[in-house]
Parts: sequence; structure tokens; C-alpha cells
Amino acid sequence: MAIVRRSLLLIALALYTSFAAGPFVWAAMMSLRTTTEIHRNHFAFPNPAHWDKFSDAWFKSNYAVYFANSVQVVVVAVLILTVVGAMAAHCLARYKFRFNRVIYFILFSTIIFPPQITIISLFQILVQYGLYNSKLGLTLVYVAIQLPLTIYILESFFARIPADLFDAARMDGYSDWEIFWRVALPIALPAVATTVILNFILLWNEFLYAVVLITEEANRTLPLGIQRFLGDTQEDVGMIATGLMIAIIPVIVVYAFFSERLIQGMTAGAVK
Amino acid sequence: MAVVTIDKLTKVYDRGHAPAADNVSLDIADGEFMVLLGPSGCGKTTTLRMVAGLESITSGTVSIDGRVVNQVPAKDRDIAMVFQSYALYPHMSVKDNLAFGLKRRSVERAEIERRVANVAGILGLAEFLSRKPHALSGGQRQRVALGRAIVRDPKVFLFDEPLSNLDAALRVSTRGEISALHRRLGATMIYVTHDQVEAMTMGTRICIMNGGRVAQVGPPLDVYRRPANTFVASFLGNPPMTLLAAVATDRSGGRCLKVGDSEIELPPGRCPPLRPGSQVTFGIRPEHVAQSAAANGAMIPVEAEIVRVEPLGAETIVIARLPGVEKLVFARLPGDAAFAMGERRQLFLDCGMAHVFDGDGGALGAGDT
Amino acid sequence: MPASPPAAGRDDGLPKPWGTIIAFLLPALTLYVGFTAYPAIRTLWNSFHRVLPRREEFIGLANYVELARDDIFWRAVRNTIVWACTSPLIEVTVALLLALALYAKVPGARFFRVAWFTPVLMSYVVVGILWLWIYNNDWGPVNVAMRALGLGAWTRPWLGDPATALPSLIFVTSWMWVGFNMVVLLAALHSLPKEVIEAAELDNCGWGGKLVFVILPLVRATLLNLIVLSFIGKMKIFDLVFITTKGNPLWATETVSTYVYKRAFEWTTFDLGYASTVATVWFVIVLATVLTLTWAFRQREKLEY
Repeated sequence: MAIVRRSLLLIALALYTSFAAGPFVWAAMMSLRTTTEIHRNHFAFPNPAHWDKFSDAWFKSNYAVYFANSVQVVVVAVLILTVVGAMAAHCLARYKFRFNRVIYFILFSTIIFPPQITIISLFQILVQYGLYNSKLGLTLVYVAIQLPLTIYILESFFARIPADLFDAARMDGYSDWEIFWRVALPIALPAVATTVILNFILLWNEFLYAVVLITEEANRTLPLGIQRFLGDTQEDVGMIATGLMIAIIPVIVVYAFFSERLIQGMTAGAVK
Repeated sequence: MAVVTIDKLTKVYDRGHAPAADNVSLDIADGEFMVLLGPSGCGKTTTLRMVAGLESITSGTVSIDGRVVNQVPAKDRDIAMVFQSYALYPHMSVKDNLAFGLKRRSVERAEIERRVANVAGILGLAEFLSRKPHALSGGQRQRVALGRAIVRDPKVFLFDEPLSNLDAALRVSTRGEISALHRRLGATMIYVTHDQVEAMTMGTRICIMNGGRVAQVGPPLDVYRRPANTFVASFLGNPPMTLLAAVATDRSGGRCLKVGDSEIELPPGRCPPLRPGSQVTFGIRPEHVAQSAAANGAMIPVEAEIVRVEPLGAETIVIARLPGVEKLVFARLPGDAAFAMGERRQLFLDCGMAHVFDGDGGALGAGDT
Repeated sequence: MPASPPAAGRDDGLPKPWGTIIAFLLPALTLYVGFTAYPAIRTLWNSFHRVLPRREEFIGLANYVELARDDIFWRAVRNTIVWACTSPLIEVTVALLLALALYAKVPGARFFRVAWFTPVLMSYVVVGILWLWIYNNDWGPVNVAMRALGLGAWTRPWLGDPATALPSLIFVTSWMWVGFNMVVLLAALHSLPKEVIEAAELDNCGWGGKLVFVILPLVRATLLNLIVLSFIGKMKIFDLVFITTKGNPLWATETVSTYVYKRAFEWTTFDLGYASTVATVWFVIVLATVLTLTWAFRQREKLEY
């Protein structure tokens, strides 16, 4: 009886797993098949596997440009976010001063803002300052939208570092600035890593701000590129699938190496 | 090498609340091992942190070698501190922990290497230099914390309850090591603790604090033998000094006290003549209560009811009640003392060693012995 | 490492190093003011104006008056609220069941946990395209499977039919977020004291009883939290709709976010003012509902203990 229940449970779990992961497997299979093959049978294994489709997408359909743009915008944004966010989080966690909690609350409450409240004006502002349609503009906007969450995660970690360590470093002759870089930041490395991975994934997937703030082909990030490709070649299912895989692979790679850390970051805000 | 002068130092955290340190004045001589002793919340750590420069000073001054350092930041005071939590940098190896303070002070690389190796040798840390703090035992961490102070060769060492996270056996041996270190370095050290054994065994002088104020300063045995007030008397010594309410009678020229139903006559010189009827406190240490009258003659017999007997092997602690007195009297007797609970018998108070305190708790006639 | 007061808990009373504090905060605050606070205020300002590419004119509350009569807007509000109210419940329910299954020490629990979490890592763009295919009328797996099961009469272009378009998209978001909710709930379950659940076993509580009387009350704070979080996420939903249906058919899947985008950047009115009004009103609605939800959940918490 117990064994029967066990196996039923396992079957149910396996079914759910194929439901959760099936679409990706399907897309992965299609990414290696030509559209003609796909239309013959939508659910067949790639045989033979057309790996050359990836180089086609990469070179002929401009994915190399989209990919490079995404990497550039996301990496720079994550770097700035990490430094700026850690500085602010360290400051809010370590120093007691008037308005400390007010500043923290204002930053934190931004997390629930619907993006529409800023996006129209951001468009105007970036146009005004010549940052519209530029990777720099998008990068700065990305930093701004992820800043609250980054500070929130890091602040709660910094606040747990014993004050004695900072006192010891002061006695050892270090300035506040050096203490941040040489004591606080290295100790907070696990939390910093969490925010780096989290911000990477979220920004890699970001679409709304990109679609509003970028129009030029040369500056498109991957999600924009895929969307454009979808619009241009609605029927070329095989190539679209290849494009999807190009966007997914970096995420899968990061997830493969840091799955626990990433899960921890994504769920950081949800557990109290 | 340094003289530290603390003058009328006061720290108020919240206006309207009692000060954490209240008018603390203390002169610490060059090479002295000064222990700040007191119960938690007595202001000893606050005082130490003000000397370190980790805490602002509300009023008063801290001077090092005659120079007022109130406005000098911690890092420029040439002081090293050992924290209760050790405060080792968890992301650095032992070696880097030791060297961290030197790197900042533009000491040459070779010199850093030499000093770190030297200190590691002294403290027996040589084989752990590449380990991170989490891979060390409590005692080893403690020694790294010590080493981090020593390696800097500062003018003044500050210790904030450095032994309170160690187990009992390690505490005894580390106590000895710190004392040895003090002798070896001859540096000025200020040591905060709530442990009277540490204070008695390590301090050249101890400063007992209570409620933010200095209660008494002096060499450990002086303070033990001549406590300036009832707080010091009851704080030092284990079991503590028995303090009993007493009234001066008109007999023996004002040197006879009535404690409960017993009358106790003090030898001349133990206290000034008291005005008959004045309320005082009579204090006697456990070791000055005996089971038989000794030869020297100052022993006063009192009737006592034995309430509890605690045989500890080497000695026996007997807790007794004198007729008409609510508070209990502690006696430290030889290990072979045979007492039974509930028994009524005579105990002998060595009144040549007794203490008398006035109504406010201040010692009377101390210093006459 | 022995405990010592955390950094936040100690006020050393030293003169505040304002220079340092400002230096640490300035970059973050500059970015915040420049790219969040100022734009938000400017949107509010816009909402009282007609904002054309080279011209701005003050028109008072005209935009707000128009908005009140804007049927598409209210349609979008209704769709979004339906989305934000149904999706969290589906997600949390399924997630709880899955979390309980994994909590019962199933072999390979770690694998399931990692596998189920994956959908949430994909961008809505990727997910949207995948589900465009899954819902495809001719060869999408949904219709293919239904035909195979003899349910051919029920097949339809799921995203093209006004009756099924919105539920189909709601289903997609639930598919995406169940794994995330599951992981959080599983963590909450694992942090429960084992004794309580064992005690329930001794009390001869059945499996259902254990769930209702022991586990649910204990993870309730987490559940409510997840619901609020999911609710906020769905109130912002944009990418998925934009990729799959663009709000079609007949505004059946129009959300406020897509409507704001269309009014600002796609309609030939070129007026950013009206779109700003939509955004402002929506901002107030979202803020108010989220605060009410949090407040309501807090309130009940207090009453029960």
C-alpha cells in the first residue's frame, strides 16, 4: 500500500516535471531542426542535428550583435549596481544617523512601484540628455531599477556583521572607506555573489525598459532582438527556436553553477 | 611606553539618563597593568572605549603621555585593543590578521614578515599562520587576537574581557600568559573584566567601578584588605565578605557593636570610637571566622546556628546564622572541619580583621592596621 | 564567531562622519533621484498636460476626466485585476501541494526542486514565444493532444478566442511562477519545528487534518507573503502580453501596462500626457491595494494570536 502510494506520488511528480521543463526541451529540439523538418513533425528528435543553425543565427541574423549588447549592458549595470548598492547598504547598516531608516524605507518601497510610473518620463529625460537609444542610458536605467532590491538584500547581510570587526579595523588604522573595501565587502561576499547572479538574470531577461528606450538595431539587446526576429519571420519556427536557445543558454549555464545561490537570491524577499 | 591619564571622564548616552561613566579619574603609570573591575553595566567598558577612541567623550579628558587625545581618532592614538569577541577578520588568514594593522602603518614588508613570525613564535601560532579563523579553536583565536595587538607594538594595550569566551581551564592558562606577556613587554595595559580572580592575579593595580563611578583604586591586596566601602567589600572575595547591620553601644569606648543579639568588641585601631547608638555595618571575611579560638587572642566567640555546610575538600564553607540576625555569615574553614546542619555551636570572629562601615557604606578606620 | 552587537545596534556617539555617510550614499541616491524619483514626479506633472513632441500645454484635469470615460482603460484594469487575483491563488495552491510532496522525503527532491524552478529564470519574451507555439491552433501540443484524446471539437486558437485568451495567459504565468512559490514554501516547511508535526501524528491527526490544522497555520505568514508578491508581479505584467497577443483579441488581454505603452508610444496621438495620467492613476491603485493587502493580512494576524 505504502509502495503504491509512493509510486503514484513519484509518477505525479515526474508528470509535473515534464510539464515544467517540457517546453524547454521541445524548444531545444526545434532549435536543432529546420523549419521544414519541424513542419513535417513538430515533436520529433533532431535527426540529424543542425548545429549550423546556431552559427547562422549568430552571424546572419545579427544575434552576435544582440548578444554582445546584452553582455555589455548587463555586465556594466551589474558592476555599477554591486559597488553602488554595496556602498549604500553598508552605510545604512553600519552608521546610525537621522533619516537612516527613512532613506532605507524610501528605497525599499520602490520595489512595489509599477514601472509605468517612471518609464514615460525616463523616455523624455533620456531623449533630453541624448541618452535615448544608447546602451549607456539603458545601463543607467537598469542600475536604477535593480538598486532597491540590491540594497535590501545586502543591507540585511551587512547588518549582521559584528560591530567589533569595524572597531578592530579602526584601531588597526583603517579609514571608513578602506574598512568598507577591505573588511565589510570581503565578508559580505556570499551576499554580494547572490545579488550579482540575481541582477544578472533579471537584467538579462529585461524587456519593457529596453523596448521603450532602444529602437536602433545596433543597440538592441537579446530580448529585443528575439522580438524583432519574431516579427520579421513569424513562420520560421526553427530559426526562432535557435534564437531562443541563444538567449536561454547563458541563464542555464549560470543556473547550473549557482542554482542554490540563485534560488536563494530570487526568494530572498519572499521569506520572512 | 606611556602614561595614561583619565581626568573626570564622563559619558552620557541619552540625555536624562544616568551617565554610563561618571566623573572617572584614573592615573595609569608607565608599564602598569591596570584592571578595571566591576559588574556589567558599571561603565568599565565605556571607559575603555573612550580611551580607545571608539566612543565619544561627553566631558573630561583622556591624555596619553601628557597629550590630550580627546580629538585624536582611534587610529592615531597608537593603541591596540583585544576584543571580547576577538573580532578576527573572518576572510583573512591568521597571518593576514596579524599583518593587517602593520600594512596600514607603512611598515616595510620584510619588517612585517619578521614581526609576524616573531609574535607567532611567542604565542605558538607558527603552524596556524595560513589558517582562517573559523578553522581555529577558541584558545587559538584568542591568541591571534592577542598577537594582533602585540605585533603592532603600541604604546598602550587595551583588553575588553578577553577571556570571557574561553572555558575555565584555558582561562587559567591564558591568564598566566597575559601576565607573562606584560612582564616581558613592560607595556602599559588596561584590562577590563568582571572576573575578580583575573583582577586579583593580573593587575598591578585594580580600579573597581560601580554605577559609572570609581569605587576604589589600589593594588589588589590593598583593595582586598582595606575596601573603601561596602560595595568593594562585598564585590571582592568569594564567598563575599559578610556584612551585617550593627549598632554602636556605649561600652568599651565606642568600639563595641551590637550585631543582632551578640555583642562584638573590636580591638583598638580597627575603627575610631563610635557615637553610641549610631548605625553602622560590620563586615567580616569568611576566612576570618574560625571554629576555635586561636592563640592571638582577638577572637570573639559568638553563638551560631549552622544553616548549610559545603565541604569542598581543601576547605569547608560553613554558612551560619547569628542569633537575631537575618543575614547569613560565611565561614571558610579547614577541609576537616566537622559540622552538622542545624547544629548550634560557637564560632570565633577574628575581630582584628573585621571591617566597620558608616551609614553611607564608607569604611571607618581603614588603613590603621 | 562569538556574538557581539551587530553593526546596526550600536551608537558610539562619535561625531557623525557625515562626509563618509554622504560619500557612501551619494551614488545610490543620485541614481535614485535621477532615474526613479524625478521621473515619477515628472509623470505626475505630465498627467496634467498635453505632452507633444515639441509642445506642452497645461490642460488641468482634462486627462483624468477623459480617463474616467475611457472604456479600454477600464477593460485593462479589469483584466489586470482578474489576473492579479486569480494567478496568485493558483500558484500558491499548486505550489503548496508540490512542496508538501517534496517535504514527504521523496527521492530526488533536490532534482525536482531545481527543475521546477527553471521556468521563472526565463524571460517573458522566451516564455511568450514558447506558449505562442504551445497554444498554436494547428500544431500546438495542446490542440494536438486534445485531438488525440478525441476532444477535437473543443480545440480552438486559444489566444485568438476572446473567451479563452486571458485565462490562457493567466495559466502561463502560473506555470512560470509555481516553482518559485514552491521553493519558498518548501523552505518555510523545513524551518518548521519537527516536533509540532510529529506531535500531530501522535494525536492521530490524519494527513488532511495535519495539513489544515497544523501546517497551514504555521506557514500562513509565508503564504500571505507569496500572495502579495505574486499580486504585485501580476499588476505589472507587460512583456508576456506584448509578445503574445498585444492585448488582442478585442482588448481581451489588454493590461494597464500594455495600454500605457500603446498610448505613449504606438498611438498616433503622440501625447505622453494621457499615458502619464493612466500611469499615475494605476500607480495610486497599485500602491493602495498593496498597502491594503499588507494591512489586512497584518490585522488578521493580530486578531488570531
